Parts: sequence; structure tokens; C-alpha cells
Amino acid sequence: MKKRIHPAVHDMKSDMEKGKLSRREFLRYSTLLGVSAFTATQMAGLSWTSKAFAGNVKRGGTLKVATALQKIAHPATYSWIAASNVTRQVAEYLTLTDGKNITHPYLLENWIASDDLKTWTLNLRKGVTFNNGDTFNADDVIFTFNQWLDESVGSSMKGMIGGYLSANNIEKVNDYQIKLHLLVPEIAVPEHMFHYPAQILNHRTFEGDFLKAPHGTGPYTLETYREGELAVVKARSDYWQKGADGKALPYLDAMHFLDMGTETAPMISAIKSEDIDFIDLSDIGGTDIFRALKDDPEINILAAPTASARVLRMRVDVKPWDNEKVRLAMRKCHNHEKLLALAYMGQGLEGQDFHVYQLHPEYCEMPIPPYDPQASKKLLAEAGYPDGLEVNLAVGSGWPDVVRYAEVLKQDAIAGGFKINLQTMPNSQYWEKWTEVDFGITPWTHRPLGTMVLNLAYKADPDGNPAAWNETRWVDDEFSEILEKANGTLDVEKRRKLFCKLQKIQYDRGSIGIGYWRAVWMVSRSVVKGLEGHPNGYMLFNDVSIG
Amino acid sequence: MPEKVETNNAKTKKVRFTDMFAILLSSKIAMVGLVIVLFWVFVALFAPYLTPYTPYEQDWKAPNQGPSAEHILGTDELGRDLWTRLIYGARVVLVVLPVSENISLPGGTAIWGVVVALLIGATLGLIGGYKGGWIDELVMRLLDAMMAIPVILLYLIIVVAIGASAVNVVIAISIVGVPGIARLVRSLTLDIKTREYIRAAETRGESAWFIMFVEILPNTRGPIIIDAMLRIGYAIFAMGTLGFLGLGMPPPSPDWGSMVAKGRAFILTGNPYAALWPSLAIASLVVGLNLLADGIREESMRYQ
Repeated sequence: MKKRIHPAVHDMKSDMEKGKLSRREFLRYSTLLGVSAFTATQMAGLSWTSKAFAGNVKRGGTLKVATALQKIAHPATYSWIAASNVTRQVAEYLTLTDGKNITHPYLLENWIASDDLKTWTLNLRKGVTFNNGDTFNADDVIFTFNQWLDESVGSSMKGMIGGYLSANNIEKVNDYQIKLHLLVPEIAVPEHMFHYPAQILNHRTFEGDFLKAPHGTGPYTLETYREGELAVVKARSDYWQKGADGKALPYLDAMHFLDMGTETAPMISAIKSEDIDFIDLSDIGGTDIFRALKDDPEINILAAPTASARVLRMRVDVKPWDNEKVRLAMRKCHNHEKLLALAYMGQGLEGQDFHVYQLHPEYCEMPIPPYDPQASKKLLAEAGYPDGLEVNLAVGSGWPDVVRYAEVLKQDAIAGGFKINLQTMPNSQYWEKWTEVDFGITPWTHRPLGTMVLNLAYKADPDGNPAAWNETRWVDDEFSEILEKANGTLDVEKRRKLFCKLQKIQYDRGSIGIGYWRAVWMVSRSVVKGLEGHPNGYMLFNDVSIG
Repeated sequence: MPEKVETNNAKTKKVRFTDMFAILLSSKIAMVGLVIVLFWVFVALFAPYLTPYTPYEQDWKAPNQGPSAEHILGTDELGRDLWTRLIYGARVVLVVLPVSENISLPGGTAIWGVVVALLIGATLGLIGGYKGGWIDELVMRLLDAMMAIPVILLYLIIVVAIGASAVNVVIAISIVGVPGIARLVRSLTLDIKTREYIRAAETRGESAWFIMFVEILPNTRGPIIIDAMLRIGYAIFAMGTLGFLGLGMPPPSPDWGSMVAKGRAFILTGNPYAALWPSLAIASLVVGLNLLADGIREESMRYQ
């Protein structure tokens, strides 16, 4: 079968040649549209480097990982990356977005998008089996899509794909081909399929609790999962991917995930004493660990710039945050340079109080908003608070940089007329009510496209209610309309124009402040080979070995 | 006649104070303790005059610095002056109780905790000891049950349940302190109530409340004072522990425990000072109070 290359790929290629599009952006967009990464790199004039180790990979060994083991049941309802990092060794995704933000087919052989971006044909990989012996086919994929879209499951995937896809619009062509008929054009379908709750489930055995039937297509089987304690995965012998030595992956015999909570000091000493090999920092940040271990020759640290942020979020359905002047005043109290320096040791990028970061392809260049307490006071007075305003800020005390963000903001906001009382609580307590607090700081993870988080957190669901993860309840008609347009606009420059408007609206009347964007690190002992940094902190460990 | 009685009272009070002072002076241990405690009380009282900074001011170009001429003890992770935070932290422990951000009561958090515990504990102990019978059984078994729970756990349960603030820390300290004080006062009461003057008061027809609070309580004060000093030490320790676990005063309060907790992350990265100073402060104040209590006890026993 000759694969047709999406016409937009050729447009993008000429864009790239004219210098309008970077090579990296070209790679990303063309792979998004179903050109294989190999073809795309050739078109971009980059050589394709596969991760081949010249046969000197050592097999065997157990990798010990420090992490936090939350209560889990349904993978589609995960709100922790750490949870997905355990089960992603067992269950897999249709696609894979690598550390350079390029998306590849994974459980898919490839995908083909129609010219109008409304019909997506997914061709499934053949010869893949679940670890209980069942064959992976289209029924599993359709079953999993339906889980995501099922209201009663309560998956964040619904907020992500529910706007363009409904259960009736998934067509099974044959056992290895599916067609998605989208309601509106969408470019990020392959990247959505790598969102961390999007693990493919076995339609024959899955009944709502993955721990009861841990049947995935991944290289490991789940042997043990004890919440707050220990999880063990063991290598299976019939995994579909082959290693550099021609035998089936993985190289490791097993992985042990040890719950070490969110305290970093025990992890530092544990990795120094070789009791653990890798620290999963995806949910806890790792500034202290980075600082403590960056000069240690026995430790390997991989950094990745990310779009992950601590989002200062204001619920617009409660007083005083229902007034957009109050929200803007709070943004004016952000001293972004100081926040990045103190809260995150200068490791990352200054925020601009809208949820798009400088390295998103469609980012529209804008200056960093200055710290302006006088303007804040004036806005507060206009909003009816001439004597200033006292507010309570919910803070998870387990994230040191969130606490520092809060402390710096409290101090800087005094001059702006705000009196902020910090209400600290353990992180787990914050997660229990993160969508409910009036005013809080919520960690948001990295997402590779600018549209992705905006669709999750700043719009309404099809019924007109704020989406499941819209923690601030902020729904703006103009913003939603432009966002819908952006979702179906392929040309980067055109998207950028739309994003100029989106960013401005979110700054002027939005519901959040963003102090800084964080860099993330992967921290391992240097004997651990084959690691690649990932902006999400996803543990893509099929190729990992212990040397 | 009334005049004469007053003079007598004044005289005896004066004698008691001189006695106390003599005990203090004659014990070297007590004097060392007293000096340490007075040092902290002094810096706490005069904190605003002993530093050019406020505990919240952030010199954001200079975070995590060691001691220097500008910041004699260095700065913390947000560039705040450690000396300033230390002495304002002592204020919260010993001199003021911040009820809300605008209202503060005189008397430190640790002191309030112990005073409230004393009031409740002494009352329960007196009632149990003097009345005896089923009241005594009921009160003491309840308190025994409380004492069976490990102290730290009890603190954590209380603070997690009612939230972290200065007033709630006072409540936690006093709840945890009540059983010990009640036991002490009860045993003293059991001894004192067999004395002749209690008999005399009962024959006079005084009420039970009068006998408990006017006849018995004043005569238990010696051991209670020593116990209270030790208890303030424990309370400071408890505040440190709660703060360390993130359950003390909410940030950015200069809470010693939370200063240690935050500074701890930087011990491994070359700035041990942020954790060192508040640890020393807690240790020295607790040791000072223990020395003071020990010295007074030893000397007063010899004195008797």
C-alpha cells in the first residue's frame, strides 16, 4: 500500500526551507500528520539516529525506583504521572512523544489524517499480544476510547478528546484499522493518545480496576502493587519489540518501585548509598535533588526544558475572584524574574501569566509582564476594594517551590494591596480538593502543544459546563471560539496569530497567574544506561539497562 | 487588725522572693539555665531593636548566603535575614501569641500552651485527688487513656484535625500536657488533704472548692513551678516538631521548626546555616529551661 503524504507536509517543507518553520517544528508537524519519523527526518535533511548500542548492552538486573505509590484503579482516571509510570511498563500507548516533542506511532503502525483534519485513520500494529496471551486488535482500542469518553468513568481524557470525538464516531474498519470521524478538525490527535491516562486496556478482561486484571501489551507484568509501599514489575519473554541484540526487550529482569513519599532528603541519601537507581521526579519537582547531586560523578542528571508550571489559579465563580480586575491585580503582583530565581533557582523560564510557554511552537512573542504593585492597587480600588483585600491561598507544603512561590508572592503582593494568608496542607490533601479551593497553586504538567492544556482547563464541555479539569471555572466565549479555530489550524504562522489573541485574552481577563516554567531532570545512578530525558518525566524505559 | 495582717503578708512574700533568689544564686546550674533563658527572652522582647530587617523582607539577589557583615547569621532560601527570623521566632515562642494576623496576645505560644494545660490539669487533679471515689476513677482513667497515645502522634492528630495555626498549637500543647499535670497535682493533693489544716478548714465548714483552690493548690506550687519549666521546654520541642512537619505556624512565619525543615534541603548543597541556627536555638532554650528547673529542684531540696 502506497502511503499518501498529507499535502500540508509539502507546504510545511517549503515553510521550513524559507526559514519560517524550524526543522524541529517541521519534524513534529509532519510526524503528527502521519509521515513516519524516518521520512520526516529525511525531508528535513536530518539524519535519523536510532538508539542502537553496538551489541554491548548488558541484560539482566533489577532497577530500583524511588516514587510515590498512590491508590490506583482505572488508568484513564490517573491524575498522577508517577502512577502512570508504574503501569506504563505494563500497558502501552498508541503513540509515543519522545523527549524532543516528536510523536511516533507505537501500538499503531501509522496514522493518516484527511486533508480537512476531520478523519483520522489509525492502522494498528499486528503481532502484538497482551501479557495474558490475548491478541491486541481494534476491539481493545475502541473499548479504551469508549472508557475515555464514558461520563461515568470520569477520565481527564474526556476533556481532552471529548470536544472533537464521540463514541458514535469511532468506526471499526477491520481488526487492525479504525477510523475516527471528528466533529471538528484537530491536529493533536496523536499527541492526545500519549496523554498519560491513555494506556490501552484489554477489552476482554478489564472491568474497571487494572490491579485486578493487569493485562497490557508492555514489556513487563505487574507482580505487586501495594499502595504507599512497593510495586514490582517483571519482564515478560514475548514482548513485541526487539533490542539491539536481536532478542526481545526489555533488557532488565525487573523493576521495583519503592514508595519514598515526597521528602527529597531520604531519596538523595538512598541514591548515594546505591539503595535506589532512579528517582521519579515527575510529580514532585526536584530542585533540591538537582542541587544536591549535580556535582556527583556517580549520578547522571538529564535536564529537559518544559511547559510544566505551578499555576496560581483563581476560581471565577466565587468572590472576590469573580471580578476580573481583582484577578488582573493579582497578576500585576507577580515579579517573574524574582519568582524564577527564588522559587526555582533560575532553572527554567519566566512565566507570563498565560498557559502557553515560550517553547510551544505556536507561542506568540510577548514581553514578560512587569511587576507593578501600583497598578494592582488601582485595579483593586476600581473593583471596590480601596483598602486592599485579604485572601487565603491553599498551598501544598510538600512542593518546596510551590511554598516559595507562595511566600514570594505574599511578600510582593503587600505593596499591591493584597494580604495573602497561606494555608499549608500536605500535598495529598491538596489533591483531594484541588478543583474546589477558591485560590490555590496547582502543579500542571508539561504538554507538547499549546492547545492541549487550554482545551483541558480553560473551556466548557459540550453541555456548556466547565470541563472536568477546568479548576477555575473560567469560560470565555471569545477565547473558546478562537481556541476552536486554533485546534483545526495547521499552519504554524496562522496558529501563532490566533495564539497572540488567546494569550492576550488570558492575560487580560483570565483566571490564572504563572510565575515561572520549570526545567525537569531525570536523576539516576550513572550505571543506568539508555535513559533519555523527557519533559513529562515519563519513564520510557524499554531500552534501559544496568551496565 | 487588717493592716497588721497585710504587713505580715507582705513580709512573708518578700521572704519567699529572697528565698527563691537565694536558691537561684546558690545553684550554678540554675544560673547557667537562667542566663540562657534570659538571653532568649531579652532578644525576643527587643527583637525589633536588634535588627534592621523584618523577618519577611526578601533580599532576592542574595539567597542562601553564609554569615556576612550585612547578615550576621546569613540568609535563607528566599534571601531573608536568619538572625532576624531567629529572634522573631523566639518572640512567637516566648513573648507573643499571634491569634490572627492582626491580634496578638502577650505571652508566647509555648507559655500559653503550658498555662492552659496547668489550669485544666490542676483543676482535674485537684478534683480527682480531693473528691476521690468514682469521680477520681473516671477522670484518671480517661487521662490514662490519653497518656497511652504516643505524644508526637497525639500532637499530629490534633493539629491535622483542627488545622495549623498558633492558637491550635496552643490547644495541642495544652491537651497533651493535661494528663501529666493532673497526675502530679492529684498525687500532691492526696498527700496534702491528710494534713491538719485541711481538717481544720473542713471543721470550719469551708466549701470543697475553697479547700481545693485556696488551701491545697497554693501548697502544691513548688513542684508545679519546676514541672512547668520542664513542660515549657517540651512545648518548645513540640512546636519545633510540628513546624518541622509542616504543621506549625503557616509560612512565612519565622517558626523555628519550619526553618529547620526548609533549611534542611540545603544542608547537602553547601548552606547548612539556615537549618543550623534554629536547631541550636531550640536546643539551647530547651537545655536552658531544663538546667533552670533542675538547679532549682536540687537546691530547694537541700534547702528544705
